Amino acid sequence: MHWTEQTETMVKALAETQKQMWKNWFDSMPGVPSPTSPYWGVTNHGHEAAAEAFKTWTAGSDHLITDVAGRLLTTQDHMLRILELSLRAWKAIAPTTESGVDWQTALHTYTDNLRQQLLQFPQEMQKACQDTDELLRVYSEQWKGLMQPWTESLHQTPWHFGQAATGHGSALMELTNLYWDGYESTFGRLLQSPSLGHTRELNQDILKGFDAWLDYRRAGFEYQVVLGETWVHAFEEFMRQLVALTEKGEPIPSVRKLLFLWVELVDQVFTAVFRSEEYIRIQGNLVNTATAYRLREREIVDAFLKTTHLASRSELDEAYRRIYELRKDVKDLKKTMQAIKGEFSTQAQKEADRGLPTDLPKDTA
Amino acid sequence: MPLFPLLSNPHETARELIDLNQKVLKGIESLSHIREQDIQVGASAKEEIYREDNLVLYRFTPMVDQPFRIPILIVYALVNRPYMVDLQEDRSLVRNLLQLGMDVYLIDWGYPGRGDRWLTLDDYINGYIDNCVDVVRERCGFGRGVQQDGAPSRDDGGDGINLLGICQGGTFSLCYTALHPNKVKNLVTMVTPVDFHVKEGLPNLWAGCNAGAQGMDIDALVDAFGNIPGEFMNLGFLMMKPFQLGVGKYLEMIDILDNEEKLRNFLRMEEWIFDSPDQAGETFRQFMKDFYQGNKLIKGEVKIGGQPVDLSTIRVPVLNVYAEQDHLVPPPSSVALGQYLGSTDYTVRSFPVGHIGMYVSGKVQRDLPPLIAQWFKERG
Repeated sequence: MHWTEQTETMVKALAETQKQMWKNWFDSMPGVPSPTSPYWGVTNHGHEAAAEAFKTWTAGSDHLITDVAGRLLTTQDHMLRILELSLRAWKAIAPTTESGVDWQTALHTYTDNLRQQLLQFPQEMQKACQDTDELLRVYSEQWKGLMQPWTESLHQTPWHFGQAATGHGSALMELTNLYWDGYESTFGRLLQSPSLGHTRELNQDILKGFDAWLDYRRAGFEYQVVLGETWVHAFEEFMRQLVALTEKGEPIPSVRKLLFLWVELVDQVFTAVFRSEEYIRIQGNLVNTATAYRLREREIVDAFLKTTHLASRSELDEAYRRIYELRKDVKDLKKTMQAIKGEFSTQAQKEADRGLPTDLPKDTA
Repeated sequence: MPLFPLLSNPHETARELIDLNQKVLKGIESLSHIREQDIQVGASAKEEIYREDNLVLYRFTPMVDQPFRIPILIVYALVNRPYMVDLQEDRSLVRNLLQLGMDVYLIDWGYPGRGDRWLTLDDYINGYIDNCVDVVRERCGFGRGVQQDGAPSRDDGGDGINLLGICQGGTFSLCYTALHPNKVKNLVTMVTPVDFHVKEGLPNLWAGCNAGAQGMDIDALVDAFGNIPGEFMNLGFLMMKPFQLGVGKYLEMIDILDNEEKLRNFLRMEEWIFDSPDQAGETFRQFMKDFYQGNKLIKGEVKIGGQPVDLSTIRVPVLNVYAEQDHLVPPPSSVALGQYLGSTDYTVRSFPVGHIGMYVSGKVQRDLPPLIAQWFKERG
């Protein structure tokens, strides 16, 4: 059989197999209607229908079972994708070798295309991080979503803010409403609003939060890029390994063995990258910017909660710290009391042995 | 260009995939019938004998009439649940030790809540572990001549019990023994990190053993989260072998889907792997900064409750067991212990397994418990 016939037949067989697998999936589902035939296969609609069916099928199961079943399906999906990807790669590089191009060069060209597709999104997002106006809009959208319930409640009960502050409820109510109107509509208008004492700090917190959020996004995209690059490199190594096996005359006996080879190889490639200084720097940056953003987020929420009757995370932590210290004190006191009681008991026993009266309280025996 | 290196022809390949798919679907159906009570962990009977905050101290019911007189207290790590040492009947270090006549106790750390974020290493080592040791000693009449149940004391004039520390629990046990030498008779450490700056270990590199705060800003992490989420820890462990643990393992699972017993065994392991407690914030802060980043244990610079921990002051017999293929605690990290101990009775043993294999490998379960029991008995 010529390789073209082999790969084309394999790709067709794979597509048919996937359809059959979907059909089996829905046939197995108790009481779940299958989608109509045009949607069978690997279209999004088929995936959505399968996800819904899966939820129904495992509805009564413990979360552990649901998670394991989900991972089993993901593994099956992964197996199909790797097989399909490697077949398509083979199909792409084979013609170039027949025209005299070295297969390694052909493979490199193919994986370059793969790299561009994989990394297009994070790289574009990294560029988008330069567009501050657009990012300000996205950032404020995030906060609107978080703050919506609280701003609504503030609008409904503005009295507590004014009265709690100075006793001149009506004037402060008006200022409060102005402030929240400005905050809710656009970020820019908020920044131009009068910097009143009680809003200046919050404005600063929000701006610092925005900077932290930007850093976190940049770090996230950088991380996605390095993972994507590593994946492409791993795939390249995998294809090289397949060519080497073919040249040695050692074909792989089954699709499962093919996938086991992929898993072993891809982990080796990733582990090598994971140990590199560059990766550690990028991962560290991701974790550190995420935590820095979370800290800024808390400052903003804490400042906001100060205007409500609700305790903030920081206040609760401080209360917990006091409870912890008191608990330690109580434990120490109990230990001391036990030791003193023990000493009394020993002393009383010695005196009893010598025939002397004891004046111990009754409960120290 | 040669053919794609798959031995089977396209139709055989399609057949293989359909068969696999059928197995997967049948397996999911089997899974959907399994309930939580079917995958209970913990094979050996035990009773709660002491409780403090989230901690529970258990004594396993002896399997002989006269257990060995010096009890063993197992100190497990904080990062995973301790029922791993008694996962199921044929994979239980505890059960095997009981069958060999040992008297076994275990500290279950529980699940830290937000209020526990202020717990320190001092609280764990000089507080919880010390209290548990005292409870065990009290029960066995150590230092009093009589046990709690009135029977003659089992001590031999010394006051110490046997400690078995596992992974981070082994590190804690080393610190405890250095600080309370009179309360420990013999010490076994299993897959225990001692030198935290070995380059072979991904956990070490990612925790910032080289990069410090740039690799992981521990202070910011604790300040931001309070307790470090168990999910965060677990993600880190899974990322060390992402495809084997995320794909390969489930590919292997396909072969056991029609075997109910093997499936339940698999699910018990899954239960444990994904059952990661949160880490108390201040404990995490000190452990990561002093041990992982500062490598202060082997430098003698660790302080617990203001007291220095000096490994060279440990003079009790020590048995150090490590896993030769351990990717979480690389062998050099454990083996380093020998250079810093003051003890003249120091034994090292290893097994050709990974970190988890030390608890669940059939071969290890055959050879490790007798090794530990015999070693303790010879020094009793």
